[in-house]
Amino acid sequence: MKNESTVVERIVTTTDSGTLSRYWIFSALIGLLFSSVAGLLVSLERIDLSSGSIFSTTDEVFQFWAAHRVALVLIAVLPLMIGLATAIVPRQMGASRLVFPRVSAFSFWVWLFGALIIIIGFLANGGVGTPEATSETQSVALTLMGVLLTVIGLCGASISALTTIVAGRVPGMSLLEIPAFSWSVLVAGTMWLATLPVLAANTVLIYADLKGRAPVNFGSEQVIWEQLSWAFTHPQIYLWVLPLLGIVAEIISVVFKNKISNPFLFAAIGLMGLAGFGAYAQTYFDIGTPVFEEAFSIIQAFIAIPAVLLVIAFISPKIKDIKEFDKRATTPTVLATLSIILLLHGVVVGAVHVIGPLELATRSTVTAQIVLTLGSGVLAFMAAFSWWGELLIGKPIRQQKILISGVIIHCGVGIFAVADFLVGFTGQNDFTGLSEFTAGTKSSSWGDALNIASLIGSSLIVLGAITAIGVCIKQVLSKTPATGNPWDANTLEWAPKEKEEVA
Amino acid sequence: MLTTGFKLWFGLVVAAFTAAVFVGYTTGGTETGPLTLGWKGAVGNHIAYGIFMMAAATSGLLAILSQSFRDADAEAAAEILQVEVKDVPEAQISTGSSSWPLFAALGVVTMAVGLVVHPLVFGIGLIVVLVMAVEWTMTNWSERATGDSEKNRELREGLLRPIEIPVLGLVGIGVLVVAVSRILLAASVLGAVWIATAVGTIIFLTAYFISQRPTIPRGVVQSILAVGVIAVIVSGIFAAINGERDFHHIGGEHEDSHVEEDH
Repeated sequence: MKNESTVVERIVTTTDSGTLSRYWIFSALIGLLFSSVAGLLVSLERIDLSSGSIFSTTDEVFQFWAAHRVALVLIAVLPLMIGLATAIVPRQMGASRLVFPRVSAFSFWVWLFGALIIIIGFLANGGVGTPEATSETQSVALTLMGVLLTVIGLCGASISALTTIVAGRVPGMSLLEIPAFSWSVLVAGTMWLATLPVLAANTVLIYADLKGRAPVNFGSEQVIWEQLSWAFTHPQIYLWVLPLLGIVAEIISVVFKNKISNPFLFAAIGLMGLAGFGAYAQTYFDIGTPVFEEAFSIIQAFIAIPAVLLVIAFISPKIKDIKEFDKRATTPTVLATLSIILLLHGVVVGAVHVIGPLELATRSTVTAQIVLTLGSGVLAFMAAFSWWGELLIGKPIRQQKILISGVIIHCGVGIFAVADFLVGFTGQNDFTGLSEFTAGTKSSSWGDALNIASLIGSSLIVLGAITAIGVCIKQVLSKTPATGNPWDANTLEWAPKEKEEVA
Repeated sequence: MLTTGFKLWFGLVVAAFTAAVFVGYTTGGTETGPLTLGWKGAVGNHIAYGIFMMAAATSGLLAILSQSFRDADAEAAAEILQVEVKDVPEAQISTGSSSWPLFAALGVVTMAVGLVVHPLVFGIGLIVVLVMAVEWTMTNWSERATGDSEKNRELREGLLRPIEIPVLGLVGIGVLVVAVSRILLAASVLGAVWIATAVGTIIFLTAYFISQRPTIPRGVVQSILAVGVIAVIVSGIFAAINGERDFHHIGGEHEDSHVEEDH
């Protein structure tokens, strides 16, 4: 039957995994820009808090500070990973499509509307509340609904990807034979499904306190950020970037023609999954004493380091393999290497900041760790985009431009993180809740200098996000057809598909 | 032989039970309480323990169901369909485009926003979600009804079109009538006359324009109609927020007659 649907109809009704993947990725890049700009404004304000050059109150600073973190996780990094999984997982499993294509489409739309509502909520003086409670209750409730919707969307997309891995594999492919990226999605998706509903439950309880009648009171109305913050800090942030390990393993194994021993690599990725489970570290469903939670946090911090080191050890090419390096793959290899280096730094800073005597748990060091870890996720996406770009958008990828935008982001994350890590030692607080909202406590000229460095880092991150979006749009609009398999890779995702719907 | 579904659910049973026992013992469980559902000793944190145990029980039930009905077993399907195993239809049928995900998402989002804004908005979202649930389910059912996609489409349309068209028509007319009435009631008396005249003229001219161009693309017609409908609805919402113009009542409380007063 002749397809008479219009362009608009095709755009809004598609269930094709490739098209949905492009929707996820493009929307997430916009989210990354929003988050980066929020971070940049906070960095700008921190240079001289007393002058109030950007914001007039600490509540306003808090709004943008929280928006930076919430958007970075829920609107940028996680959807970037989901976008990659949506396109690559079915191909790697030899499936013609995701197992639940309509659920995937539903998840994307719910997430997109939720993301928009979050942004509106923050801009309408809502967000996740403020320390001095000057935010608009309705706008806070709206933001919470946005968070809930994005979580629903992310869970739906995760379920679809996980089910495709578990039930959609070609006959004969056992779980231990699946590619490393799909394995990392399996581990990450499982852990996302174990933790995102907890975040949803937190959100519902806060909403009930905010809008419900007096008899229903869970005591969370005044400590909204404390209820939610576990999802945006150590150790939970390791989970949001977990597919990074699979991306790096895939790229390195192909470019160095290095046969990676799967079971051990898979075990290391699984270990990282355990190191990132952080849903216990929230205040409502308290599983024990704070000491107990702190012990968990410390143990996980020190599990994460060997987990990442093990992955690096398993994927590192042997000296004889170096000669096999395919120079065409310089960009994905460089970006993948930079991303895992950032992650390694992230877990090391995570371990340092939980050491009690250093008293860094509520300092700017926390921000450094978050930006390092989530920044590594963004760089891993850039590496994946340069590697699988032809599969994602059906056009050849201009590798140099991706490399430039990736290096800009890497430099930005590096400078920002080093500055925030060091300024944490000068006593500059991180926003961690009601009692400690006095960010940027100026204590020395060192602090000023480091805050300026942090601002430079933030600016570079924004610049990198803008160039990444520009490069992606330019690649999508390119009229040059895809070459097929640019790396001569032998994994299943590069096998030609019989028919692809393009919307 | 154990089915794949059984293995998956049984794995979840083990994981959830282990988690429940772990939570039990780390939150004050005593003796064998966490292992025996509290028969000998305490189970610790009741909420966490209960959630994990319920997850284990539910997964166990699904494992039994999966095994009982031989889920994803090609031989069982061949036996029921009375065909050779090689002729069993593919488990994954091709899925075309569908507007249900978008509308279902809109319904869910409307419900969420309605929780914040107004119960009526929540109600509208709930209705949309329920309708989408029916439509989505029927579409999925019809796609598996026979091996012929054209016949499947006819089956679905034969069943749902007699309901969809009148209901959609009624809803569409109702929404437009409410929106236009809000606009007319918010405007001044003379303004309402002008608005009604302008709207009528625009509709007439648009219809005339379309009728004179039979080859006009369907997308253009859809876009024109969409813009018009959205304009009316948005104007209606703003008019409703502004409220009606002042009506100056004359006579007693039970008199129907009243005099309208211009702004």
